[in-house]
Amino acid sequence: MGAKTSLFLLALLAVILGFARSDFSVSSHHKLHIDFWNGWTGPDGRVALEMIRQFNQENPDVEVSMQRMEWGTYYNKLMVAEVDGRGPAVFVIHASTLPRMEQAGFLADVRDMFEGPRALPTSDFDDYVLNQVKYDQTYVGVPLDIHPQGLYCNADMLKQAGFVDANGNARAPENKEEFVRAIKSMQKLDASGHPDTWGFALTLWRNNFQALIPQFDGRYMDESGNADLDCKGNVEALEFLSSLEKQHLVPPPENGLGWVGYRQKKVAMVWDGVYMLGDLKRLEDMPYIGAPIPVLGHHAGTMADSHVLCIQKTMSPERRDAAERFIRFLSEHSIQWAGAGQVPARKSVRNSAEFAKMPVQYAFSKQIPTMMYPPRTHILFELSLEIDLAVEKVMRGRATPDEALKVANKNCQTFIDRDRRERQAKP
Amino acid sequence: MTYTRKRGMDAWLFMTPYTLSFAAFILVPVLVSLTLAFMQFDLTSRNSIQFVGTRNFSDALKDDYFWQALKATLFFVVLMVPCMITTGLAMAFGMNAMTRGRNTVRALLFLPGMLNVAVASILWGWFYNGEFGLFNYLLKGWGFAPKPWLSDRSWAMPSAVGMNLWWAVGGTSVVLLAALQQIPRSIFEAAVLDGAGNSALLNRISLPLLRPVMLFVVVTNTIAGFQVFGPTFLLTRGGPELSTRALVQYIYETAFNNYRLGYGAAMSWLLFAVVATFALVQYRFLKRSVA
Amino acid sequence: MNKVWKRLDTAFMYVLAALFLSPLVLMILTSMKPESEVLNPSAIIPKHWTWANYAHVLGWSEEAPFVQWLLNSFFIATSVTLLVVLFSSMAAFAITRLKAPGGNFFLGTIVAAMMVPGQLFLIPLYLILSKLHWLDTPLALIVPATAGGFGVFMLSQFMRGIPEAIEEAALMDGCTPLQLYLEVNIPLCAPAIATLGIFTFVASWNDFLGPLVFMDSIRNYTLPVGIALYQSSYYTEYGLTLATSVLATIPLILVFMAFQRQIVESMTSTGLKD
Repeated sequence: MGAKTSLFLLALLAVILGFARSDFSVSSHHKLHIDFWNGWTGPDGRVALEMIRQFNQENPDVEVSMQRMEWGTYYNKLMVAEVDGRGPAVFVIHASTLPRMEQAGFLADVRDMFEGPRALPTSDFDDYVLNQVKYDQTYVGVPLDIHPQGLYCNADMLKQAGFVDANGNARAPENKEEFVRAIKSMQKLDASGHPDTWGFALTLWRNNFQALIPQFDGRYMDESGNADLDCKGNVEALEFLSSLEKQHLVPPPENGLGWVGYRQKKVAMVWDGVYMLGDLKRLEDMPYIGAPIPVLGHHAGTMADSHVLCIQKTMSPERRDAAERFIRFLSEHSIQWAGAGQVPARKSVRNSAEFAKMPVQYAFSKQIPTMMYPPRTHILFELSLEIDLAVEKVMRGRATPDEALKVANKNCQTFIDRDRRERQAKP
Repeated sequence: MTYTRKRGMDAWLFMTPYTLSFAAFILVPVLVSLTLAFMQFDLTSRNSIQFVGTRNFSDALKDDYFWQALKATLFFVVLMVPCMITTGLAMAFGMNAMTRGRNTVRALLFLPGMLNVAVASILWGWFYNGEFGLFNYLLKGWGFAPKPWLSDRSWAMPSAVGMNLWWAVGGTSVVLLAALQQIPRSIFEAAVLDGAGNSALLNRISLPLLRPVMLFVVVTNTIAGFQVFGPTFLLTRGGPELSTRALVQYIYETAFNNYRLGYGAAMSWLLFAVVATFALVQYRFLKRSVA
Repeated sequence: MNKVWKRLDTAFMYVLAALFLSPLVLMILTSMKPESEVLNPSAIIPKHWTWANYAHVLGWSEEAPFVQWLLNSFFIATSVTLLVVLFSSMAAFAITRLKAPGGNFFLGTIVAAMMVPGQLFLIPLYLILSKLHWLDTPLALIVPATAGGFGVFMLSQFMRGIPEAIEEAALMDGCTPLQLYLEVNIPLCAPAIATLGIFTFVASWNDFLGPLVFMDSIRNYTLPVGIALYQSSYYTEYGLTLATSVLATIPLILVFMAFQRQIVESMTSTGLKD
């Protein structure tokens, strides 16, 4: 076959494919189209799709279509699309990343969703959560859920280690003494003395550490917004994790290792978000239970965040109405969403009998009164990286908690200063 | 005279499609990013966009993370390029001496390069996993201690280089093999008649004659090495303790996670300066030793 | 002695090739495991063979229109390949054969531009494509891809290696430059063009950042970006990820098998002319 014939055939193929592609586009002209973006790439996304199908059926004049991509990519893409004015009508943002989006001016004022006859009752939300979406006395989004970090245990291993309640069911450790005893009794060594099964492993280690910050009365920033990562509470919290490392009770931090190990039954206990439940449900022979993070500091506490539903700023009144209907629908049907591995933001839903039947979600939700969100800051990405580095260094035994947090604090202060200089100084 | 001028016009007629594309999608973006490098340009606070002169460049030179990323990148290049060349060369000699099946082997060695880097990293991420990965499972089975492939600062980069080698060495070895096969047999035969031994054949004939190709291979691998992003990012996310965070990853994070486009552009130009210097020095050096 | 050594060498190279191939075999085997045994290295051969991962991927039409992505990838990669081959061969022909004035300087510029990290272009390109209203259309992935300098560089190197006598003779016979290009130059460069074509196809197929940044709608994605949907941060759906990876890789392996002679053999000419 000559070069020219091949090129001609390729050209023909390209043209045919071009036509073939266009056949797939289905457009419905008579409906209000609402595009809905989020980062729910796991099983949670499938539940969301089911809810959208239901909404589309109940609202024949609207067609919601969902797009999901991994969170990191999602935020990049959302930002770039918004800058170009081609962002989605409705989108999901973590409460902790709101400051960035708010500053960029991408978020519509949704005060009308909390006021007026069809309003979502503000009394049905926790003040702490509602404050996350409040800017200058108005609201920029509707919190859909609360996802606290909690304790996942392998029930069989707990039973073998003697952690059972009166009914003979597995019981999660609740305090420091029980937690450390559980780790030790569930760790198994192989012939060479290397742990073959671990009692506990870190998952996303910065979140694991952040879960302990409220327990030790730690904080991220002081009253004037300066970094305070090396405060006494934070150092104590990290010292607890460090003590586990010194006793060889936890493997060195490695990406994805903790959760994968837990799924493989090579790790007995991990701390992770309630959203990981969906992953466990897919495993057929995984005996798991969920519980609050044990009290390892002065009192109970954990880290949490929320998925917040936001609306694009510039929209026709009809589309805006459809978008609000959709958000209201999601909020009112959040018991379905809870099934995906979430704790609903609505108190009434959490108090329902149906929710009480979701053991892990219910157990995790008990932590709501003591939970702490990541700080409201423009430098969240930099701050998270610094915390990650500090925890990593300590858990590899390469720095003391005090040293590691001092470095993190110094770097964060630099970023805060730069942020003030660059972003907040308006001409 | 008219003949040449007409030829020149024809020539530029032929050049037009590519030149237009080059101007629109390379030249203009380069100019835009050059402008960005001198600006404070944050997509999330557009009213703070302004010219800042050379501040981005001086900030970069004072930025510990910039130096650390540059060091990680250099480490990758210094580790990867020699490994790539020696392995590629050894494989080329190995294939050259084969009695049969050379084409099959050549194809199989080349095949991994067809894979998407994301796919390659998913696979190798599992191989390297410390507690539950394939390699440590095999090591334990053979009675060796497990290795911290990705979780130790001195292991992670070599591990990333290892994956990159599997992924990309095929191309290098194929080029070298082709060059090897082009050396006329008569040269070797004459040398053998003169009583040259195996090592003399290698040092005096094969390697010197391969030099021009080596130049090509070294320079292209070096450029690719400085621009490394996929293998390290997907395998380790830059860890442990940022020891594998290459400069391109830092630039990407600066521009797309922190939205500091101006600073990202300035660091990109610094990277470009480093790459261009390296490529130029290698080119001069190897060129001279060819002559 | 020499013969024995060569036999040993042959055997060793076969083992090496098998080793290089083994990750791919592992990928296919693992993609056929049920989720519960997917990461277990102690059983490389699945205990329970299952097509569930594939059924899931292919049947997931609404949120992951796999067939659509496949067609997109084919359409875009084919178009890019055609245009790159056309533009690059024309430019290389003009530089080396028609001795375009300033051609060598232009070639130098192209090579210098190849050293600029690609990430640098992303934002400016985005702004340009936005102005052209090409975002979220295949044009955004096809047209800018023709600007890459590798093709011009490589074909120029190749053409310099071909004796000019034939073409000079053709010119003397009253051949127009267009005829010269179509009738003489392209056939002579066929192996190099094939290589360039395949490289371009693979690179376009595997391009990740472009579709990610320039495409919004799920149904406009290409296969690699579609795969990224599965590599989520929270969930470790390894079996599904590998099944998609296998499906995304098969077309490439087919292309490779069909053209491997051309690819590999004309890489010769690229590297050899310094």
